[in-house]
Amino acid sequence: MRIYLCEDSFEGILTAVYDAWAGRLGHDNVRLELQGEYNLELFADYVVVLPDDEKAEKVVRTLRQKLSEEVFEYVYKAAMSQERRKADLIYRFIVLAIQRGARIVSEFGNPVVMDIFELVRNVSNESHLLLGFIRFQELENGVLFAKITPKNYVLTLIAPHFEDRLSGENWVIYDAVHEMAAVHARNTSWVLSREAKMPEKLPESGQEEEYEELWKIFFHTIGIEARKNPKCQRNMLPLWYRKNMLEFENNENC
Amino acid sequence: MAEKSWLFVIGKIRIYVRKTLAIRYIICYNKKNENIYSVIEMQIEQKMTIQEKLQILTDAAKYDAACTSSGVDRKGKAGSMGNAAACGICHTFASDGRCVSLLKILFTNECVFDCKYCINRASNDVKRAAFTPDEVCTLTMEFYRRNYIEGLFLSSGILKNPNYTMDLLYQTLYKLRTEYHFMGYIHVKAIPGADEELIRRTGFLADRMSVNLELPTGDGLRRLAPHKTRKTILKPMKQIQKGIVNSKNEMTVYQEAPRFVPAGQSTQMIIGATPESDYQIMSVAEALYKNYDLKRVFYSAYVSVNTDAMLPALPDGPPLLREHRLYQADWLLRYYGFEASELLSPDRPNFNVLLDPKCEWAVRHLEYFPVEINRADYQTLLRVPGIGVKSAQRIVRARRSAKLDFEDLKRLGVVLKRAVYFITCMGRMQYRIRLEENSITHNLIHDDRKKLYEMQENESFTQMSLFDDFHLTVPPSVEDGRAAVSGQL
Ligand code: SF4
Repeated sequence: MRIYLCEDSFEGILTAVYDAWAGRLGHDNVRLELQGEYNLELFADYVVVLPDDEKAEKVVRTLRQKLSEEVFEYVYKAAMSQERRKADLIYRFIVLAIQRGARIVSEFGNPVVMDIFELVRNVSNESHLLLGFIRFQELENGVLFAKITPKNYVLTLIAPHFEDRLSGENWVIYDAVHEMAAVHARNTSWVLSREAKMPEKLPESGQEEEYEELWKIFFHTIGIEARKNPKCQRNMLPLWYRKNMLEFENNENC
Repeated sequence: MAEKSWLFVIGKIRIYVRKTLAIRYIICYNKKNENIYSVIEMQIEQKMTIQEKLQILTDAAKYDAACTSSGVDRKGKAGSMGNAAACGICHTFASDGRCVSLLKILFTNECVFDCKYCINRASNDVKRAAFTPDEVCTLTMEFYRRNYIEGLFLSSGILKNPNYTMDLLYQTLYKLRTEYHFMGYIHVKAIPGADEELIRRTGFLADRMSVNLELPTGDGLRRLAPHKTRKTILKPMKQIQKGIVNSKNEMTVYQEAPRFVPAGQSTQMIIGATPESDYQIMSVAEALYKNYDLKRVFYSAYVSVNTDAMLPALPDGPPLLREHRLYQADWLLRYYGFEASELLSPDRPNFNVLLDPKCEWAVRHLEYFPVEINRADYQTLLRVPGIGVKSAQRIVRARRSAKLDFEDLKRLGVVLKRAVYFITCMGRMQYRIRLEENSITHNLIHDDRKKLYEMQENESFTQMSLFDDFHLTVPPSVEDGRAAVSGQL
C-alpha cells in the first residue's frame, strides 16, 4: 500500500490525485491522506506530495473538458470540506468519473458518489447560509471587516458574491478558524491571503455603534410576539452561527 | 372612523376642522370656494430620534407576511452598490422563526383609513411616526453595506390620501436608486386608489410590487376595511400584471429596456379574521395565480391586535395550523399540478386538521394507486404522498441507469413511511397493505400527528414557505410555463 500525503488545499489534493494516478500501482493499492493527523501503518510506504500547480491544472482540465463543469464543481466543493477523508474520496470519485463519464453525478446508488454528495451538500449549505449571516463592521479607516468561523473552507466560495455586491467598498472577510482572509480593494478583484492572522478587535469607525444599535432595534422589533417560536428559530439559525452575529450578542435569542 | 368634523362659518369664510386621533385638518374656503388656507397637523413628533422612528415603524410593519427577496438575478455594476440573487438569502431569523431578508418598514404608520384588523388604523391611539426619504435611504444603504439585509421592503399607512402616499414611496425609491445608487432588492407596496402613473413610475424602480388583497372576499372587506374595495385593490393588481407583460415584450425587442417589477407581484390574505372557508380562500388564490400571474400569495394568520365587535377574539392565538395547511395546499397548486377543486369542495370546504392536503387527496383517490415507480410519469409521481418535487426529479433521472427499489428510494429522499401505501417497485409493494381508505388514513394520521405535535411544540413552521423562497431549485417547468403563458397574452 502506498499512501500519498497531501496538503489540505485544492492544489495539494489534485496534485496527489495526479501522482497517485501516474504511479500506476493500481487504484486498490494506493490511498490519499491529508498531512497532519494520520495513523502510521506498518506496511505502507508514505510519499509526501508537494503541491504542484501544473499537475493540479492538468487534472482540472481533464475534469472540465473531458467530463463536465458539474463534475469539476463537485470536486472543488468536496475539496473545501472539513472532512478528513476527503482526499481519498475525491480520488475515488475522479477514478469513477473517468470510467463512467459525466453521468456519474446522477448515480445516487454509488456509495463513493453519495459520500461526495454529502460533502458537497455540507459545504454548499454552509456557504449559502453565510452569504446572509456574515456581518461587516466598518473600521476607522472605512474598511468593512467581517470575521467568520466556518467549519468548511468556504472563503473562496463566498468572496465572489461580495465582490459583485460590494464592488465599491474595501472589505476583508477573515476566516479565524483556518486563518485565511479574502481581501478586496475597491473596484478590483478580491485576493485570498493564506496564513493571515488578525486581532480579535479592530478600531471601529465613529458611526459604527449607531448602526449596530439600529440593527438590534430592528431585529428585536420585527418578531411577532403572538407567534414566538424559539425552537423554529433555532432550527433555521443554529446557535453555532450566532457567535459572529451582533444581534445575538450576550446570548440574546430573541 | 372615530372622527369629528366641524364646519364654522365666519363671515364669508367657511372653515372645516376634521379631527381623528391621528390627524387634524383645518381647511378654509372663501366664498368662491377657493381653498385659502389649510393646515394638516399630525400627531407626529418631529423631534423623534431615528431610533424611535425605526422602532415604531418596524413594529407597525411586522404583520405583513411577505418578506422574501427572491425572483430576480441582477449582477452588480461599477459605481453602484448591490445585486440581487434569485434564490433569495436569509440574513437572520426573528424570534418567531421567520426569515429576515429585507428591511421591512412603513414609511409612516399615520393612516387616514380605518381597517378594523390593523394596528395603524386611524381610530387607534398609537404613537405615530414618519421617516423622511433620506432617512429610509441611509438606513437601507448602511444596513446593506454591513450585510444585515438583502434590500428594502417599503410599505406605508395612508398619509393624507393614496396619491400623496404613493408619491412619497416613489420619491424614496427614486432617491435610493438614482442618488444613492442602490442596486439591491426592493419590494414596495402599491397603494390602492393611487394614480396609475405613480404606480407605473414606481414599478420601474422596484423589483417586486404587491397590493394586499387583505380579505378573501369583497364582503369581508366591506365589513372590516370600509375604505377599501375589491375594485380599488384589483385595479392596481391588473395594472401591474399588464406592466410586467409589456416590459417582458419590450425586453425581447430591446435588451436594455427598463424592467418593470422584474421579480413579479405578490399579495397577502389575512386568515381567520373573517369567516371564509378554506375552499373559498384556495379558490381565490387559484384565480389570482391564473388571472393575475401572481408569483406568490401569502397567508397571514390573523393576529389579534385590536378589540372590536367585528373581530374574532382568538383566545388560542393566531390560527397558525390553518395557515400552515393553506401554505401546503398553495404549494400543491403551484408545483404539483393540483387544482383547488380537487382538494376541496363546497361540501368539504375545510382542510383536515390531522392530515396534510396531499395525503388527504390521496386516500380519497385510491383508484389512482398504487403507481409503479419505474414507469409512472413525473406528474403522476408528484401526486404520491412522500414524494416531493426534488425526489420526483431524482427518480426520473436515476431510473434511466437502473431499476429502482425501495432502498434506492430512501436514498433519493422519498419519505417511505408515507409513500409505501401508494407505490410499487418492480410490481411489488413493500408490505402487504390493504388499499383501503380508513386503515391508510389511520396510519397516516398517526404519522402526521407526530409531526403536528412537533409543530405545535414550535417545530418547523416556516420551513415550507422558506423552502419555497430559499435555496430551493424549483422545477423550471411550472414558473416558466406560467411565464410563457403570460408572454402570449
Ligand atoms: S390602510 Fe388599513 S391596513 Fe393599511 S395601514 Fe391603514 S388601516 Fe392599516
